[in-house]
Amino acid sequence: MKPNAMIELNKVSKHYDGTIAVDSVDLSIKQGDFCVLVGTSGCGKSTTLRMINRLISHTKGQIMIEGQEIMSFDPQSLRRRIGYAIQNTGLFPHWDVARNIGTVPKLLGWPKHKIQARIEELLELLNLPYSSFAHKYPSELSGGQAQRVGVARALAGDPDILLMDEPFGALDPITRESLQQELLRIQQQIHKTIVFVTHDMDEALKLANHIVVMDQGRIVQQATPYELLLNPANSFVSQLLGGEDRGLKQAGLMHVADFMKTNRTMTPSDHQLAQIKPDDSLRLALSVMLWHQQEQLIVMDDNHCVGEISLQQIIQAKPYADHHG
Amino acid sequence: MFRLGIDKVMFVLTTASLLSLILLDFVSLQPNRILPGTGHSIVSSVGWGYALLIILPLLFNLFLSFSFRKASSIQRYSFQLLMLILVFLFMPMLLAIFATQHISETQIHARTGLGSAFWVLLFLTSLSLIELKQKLNLSRLKICFLIILITFSWLFFYITAQLDTLAIVREYTARSVQFQQAFRVHLYLVCAAVMSSIVLSTLLVMLMRRHHVFEKAIFPLLNFIQTIPSLALFGLLIAPLGYLAANSEWLQSINVGGIGWAPAMIALIAYSLLPMVRNTYVALNEVDASVIDAAKGMGMSPLEVFLQVRLPLAMPIILEGIRITTIQAIGLTAVAALIGAGGLGNFIFQGLGQAAMDMVLLGALPILFMALMADLFFSTLMSLFSHQDKTSRESQ
Ligand SMILES: Nc1ncnc2c1ncn2[C@@H]1O[C@H](COP(=O)(O)OP(=O)(O)OP(=O)(O)O)[C@@H](O)[C@H]1O
Ligand SMILES: [Mg+2]
Repeated sequence: MKPNAMIELNKVSKHYDGTIAVDSVDLSIKQGDFCVLVGTSGCGKSTTLRMINRLISHTKGQIMIEGQEIMSFDPQSLRRRIGYAIQNTGLFPHWDVARNIGTVPKLLGWPKHKIQARIEELLELLNLPYSSFAHKYPSELSGGQAQRVGVARALAGDPDILLMDEPFGALDPITRESLQQELLRIQQQIHKTIVFVTHDMDEALKLANHIVVMDQGRIVQQATPYELLLNPANSFVSQLLGGEDRGLKQAGLMHVADFMKTNRTMTPSDHQLAQIKPDDSLRLALSVMLWHQQEQLIVMDDNHCVGEISLQQIIQAKPYADHHG
Repeated sequence: MFRLGIDKVMFVLTTASLLSLILLDFVSLQPNRILPGTGHSIVSSVGWGYALLIILPLLFNLFLSFSFRKASSIQRYSFQLLMLILVFLFMPMLLAIFATQHISETQIHARTGLGSAFWVLLFLTSLSLIELKQKLNLSRLKICFLIILITFSWLFFYITAQLDTLAIVREYTARSVQFQQAFRVHLYLVCAAVMSSIVLSTLLVMLMRRHHVFEKAIFPLLNFIQTIPSLALFGLLIAPLGYLAANSEWLQSINVGGIGWAPAMIALIAYSLLPMVRNTYVALNEVDASVIDAAKGMGMSPLEVFLQVRLPLAMPIILEGIRITTIQAIGLTAVAALIGAGGLGNFIFQGLGQAAMDMVLLGALPILFMALMADLFFSTLMSLFSHQDKTSRESQ
């Protein structure tokens, strides 16, 4: 157990009469971690998440935040310190976007001008122009916009911890993809401690630097995405990782920039080669090769040739253990 | 080339209005309160010149219900609306003209009865108005303005004493003090019953939300009460209340007895509870669980969750319950006149007894008016609370 853990669960269980939803879970999440709980439906992910902000009270064990037992806090003030975003957004339909985002700051008793400034700041952070969105009602938003507002609202009180329960679960793949990108970008700016629940392993691999695989209320394995792909603890985990498909999943986590051959200048014959960007994944590079039936690609950054990558390099690519995050 | 389009609803309503004016009596001249009057069609009552004031706008509307011109439909509907307003405004004026032509000042008992053509015209024009209101998507404010305009035209002819010979006005003048008294009693009974039901049903709903066992007891009981016919319930209360009053000086001192306001209030409240409790309970329970979850997760206290989220979101349905209850109570209070509770029902039952239909109207029309006002009031209030509806309506 590391002393600098932001969130710590010691042998935490949740019993409902008859069923055991969460069974003696040990978990330590460091400050700045992006921790993703992943598993099949009913394995206890949401229950674990909701015990952290006391929306569900745990039956056994100890939950600590910054070294303090959560039962020693008043539940309301605990929750105001923790951002919370959920799948159906849970936006208040009778309040406009600005008021929704201002909920926690208002509960915290911030002065009006500070709340207003915070709302403007967050709408900008989430790419929602203030003038066109602040006074819309949730029913006037698309699913993706509503979820952005949900994330903005969770961040509003500037909490150290962000709990997110399948926030992108109801979105179409393209919108989900762009919101994932944005969440990663935001996380690089603000360095919160995020606990994120999903049943989508691809989402987990993409976002997390700490993946927790759960099954039937227990933690089966926790590791970085690379370790998980390299050494799945058992057949359940490798099945979740997509079985033989995991080679591609792994390639999806590696960037062209880290494996390409640099110091290359354009030659006239290069114009026949397909192109790829340095921050694209090896998986995409492989797909482009298959599509164009070429074993070599030109890496282009803003119309400049920065290198080349070959099939051989992709096949021999070895992930660095601690490359991500 | 043009295609002859036809607006079926307006065509049928307008044709029916015109036919009723041709075939039925517009007004009747009664020598006194009881004797049947002689009927007059619209033309024989005021002459062609004045009759055209109503017939021409109707003909124009009939013409406008064919769309062979290139005029936009919005323009057409607006014209039709204008014509309807004219019809409404000229109706009291024709009655006034009829009175000056047919009744002299010395005939103090003679009166103008409203004929079947008048009622049919009133009904069909109201339907057309509702139809146009939907087509033109008129706001509540404009509707209010229209109603006020039409009411004022009637008030103008009434105050300038031009409608004094109208049968219903004669009935009113003969008993204006009783009428005002009855109107007040009616209003008080309804308000008192609705307010007490709001308080009582709030208590019941709180109880049910605390302990779900009560749900199983309260709903069947309220459902059962709702199935008792109103007259039977009034009757059932006479004996026990009479007995209680006979044995308590205090109850007698506040006028409680087997008949009078007490059994009426009890019955009104008993009937009001079901719609109110049902709507309130369901509305509070049906609030989206994820919204409540989010509210708690943000760190709202249970009271804040209730007052800032659950209650406002449930409000439109709760108000709908109060609206239903109020309108129901306005009607039931009329029946309560039978057990001596007073109110406008008195005129209805007395009028029925004396076969004086105008007296029945004197009771029935204000009840109708009260119900319409209550409806307008509560639907306005409800629209203030439903942002979702507001936005979806605007985007249509
Ligand atoms: N209020 C409750 N009473 C009884 N059992 C419950 C209750 N809430 C959850 N459970 C049980 O606890 C287990 C874990 O539920 P949980 O909601 O944490 O699952 P999950 O991993 O979030 O699943 P999903 O992906 O479907 O959301 C389930 O088996 C569920 O049936
Ligand atoms: Mg869940």
